[in-house]
Amino acid sequence: MSATMKLKQGSFLWYLYLDKLYCLLSVRNVKALLEYFHLLDVHHNNTLNDVLFYHFLHHVTSWKRTQIMTVFNMLDWNAMGEIGFDQFYMLVCILLAQQNHLEEQFIFRHSRPVFELLDLEGELRIGAENFHMYNFLFNIKKQDLRELYHDFDITGDRRLNYKEFKLFTIFTMDKYQERQKAEKDKDKGKKDLLKKKRLHHVNVSLKQFLGINVSESRL
Amino acid sequence: MQDSLRLRAEQAAGQASLGSHGSDKSSPDNDIRNLWTRATLSQPKLNVPRSSVGEDSDMEGSGIGSKSRRWYNLKAGRDSDGGWEEWDDGEDKDSFRQEDLDESSLLELELRRASSLGSRLGEDVDSKTDTEMSSSESSLNISKHTPHRAYWMEQQNRLPLPLMELMESEALEILTKALRSYRSGIGRDHFLTKQLQRYIEGLKRRRSKRLHLLVH
Repeated sequence: MSATMKLKQGSFLWYLYLDKLYCLLSVRNVKALLEYFHLLDVHHNNTLNDVLFYHFLHHVTSWKRTQIMTVFNMLDWNAMGEIGFDQFYMLVCILLAQQNHLEEQFIFRHSRPVFELLDLEGELRIGAENFHMYNFLFNIKKQDLRELYHDFDITGDRRLNYKEFKLFTIFTMDKYQERQKAEKDKDKGKKDLLKKKRLHHVNVSLKQFLGINVSESRL
Repeated sequence: MQDSLRLRAEQAAGQASLGSHGSDKSSPDNDIRNLWTRATLSQPKLNVPRSSVGEDSDMEGSGIGSKSRRWYNLKAGRDSDGGWEEWDDGEDKDSFRQEDLDESSLLELELRRASSLGSRLGEDVDSKTDTEMSSSESSLNISKHTPHRAYWMEQQNRLPLPLMELMESEALEILTKALRSYRSGIGRDHFLTKQLQRYIEGLKRRRSKRLHLLVH
């Protein structure tokens, strides 16, 4: 259930992208997405029912039926049996965040809406079971979940309120940025090493060349 | 000398706009070209003073005159909420505006050429044939630019065709599978099933019509 989701290559969503800082779509992308939504809105209600929603996600993602219906139930926060464009837009942003490995950034930037999505019962608290259920959406690893409840459950009720959740997102974001920095340094180190090797090689060749010339002139 | 040429050009342009047929001395081979030249010069749009051409290009969001905008408003089928104002990213906005200004300055240039060349329409000169050919070419250019502006205005507020094509083909695949679910779930005779079926057929027709237009 927690396998990384992949968007179908060449599908319409595959061509969209999130702004890397704010994890939102540009106005142009939203306009295109709205047009796409209207194409799928066959009954002209400005909504997608569960059947259309299922076939859409089944076509563009690698999710299974249970995962798709879990997402539908999560997004259908009014219990109307249909989802509107707002929820559709939210879903697309989540999909793109996963596709582009921006989950931590996305949760950090949109902690309030994510919290409200996970808070199924509307109790302003999230239990561990909520996280488990939606693990495949945000790719939160089991180890991170354990840390989450161990380090951030300040009130000790084994559930997270919004402030505790926000602290968790800040912490995750810091870790993510450190990881990025470490990767950049590693890449930089490799490039420097490669440069040094090349320079050394050039020097050696030059010396050999000059050495040969000098010996020829002596002769 | 240049002043007299300019004066003659303006007079000739004025005569052409009134639809004067006083200078019908062309050879039979050039008759059609003459008519074409006079027809385009007589269009009221083209007698717009140069200053107003420049003003139109300065208007916000487009370099197109109000007439083209009205044409666009009549033509646009669906109302769009905001308008597809930027085709490219923000950094390309300036280059797009540059293009708009270039179009308007190009049109201005063509108008000037047309008016200066129009002065030779009625003259009995040796290079009459060449002049008439170049004047008809310039009027062709003018007529090419004017409809293109409305076309580009419309294109700005619509999604690009390849993107529409991709979206529609994908939607068609999804909806065809959904139709099977509808039939198995609620039956063929349910009104929702029929509505979906009609929608799919309409979408297919639209697509084939567009493909047919593209091919031809």
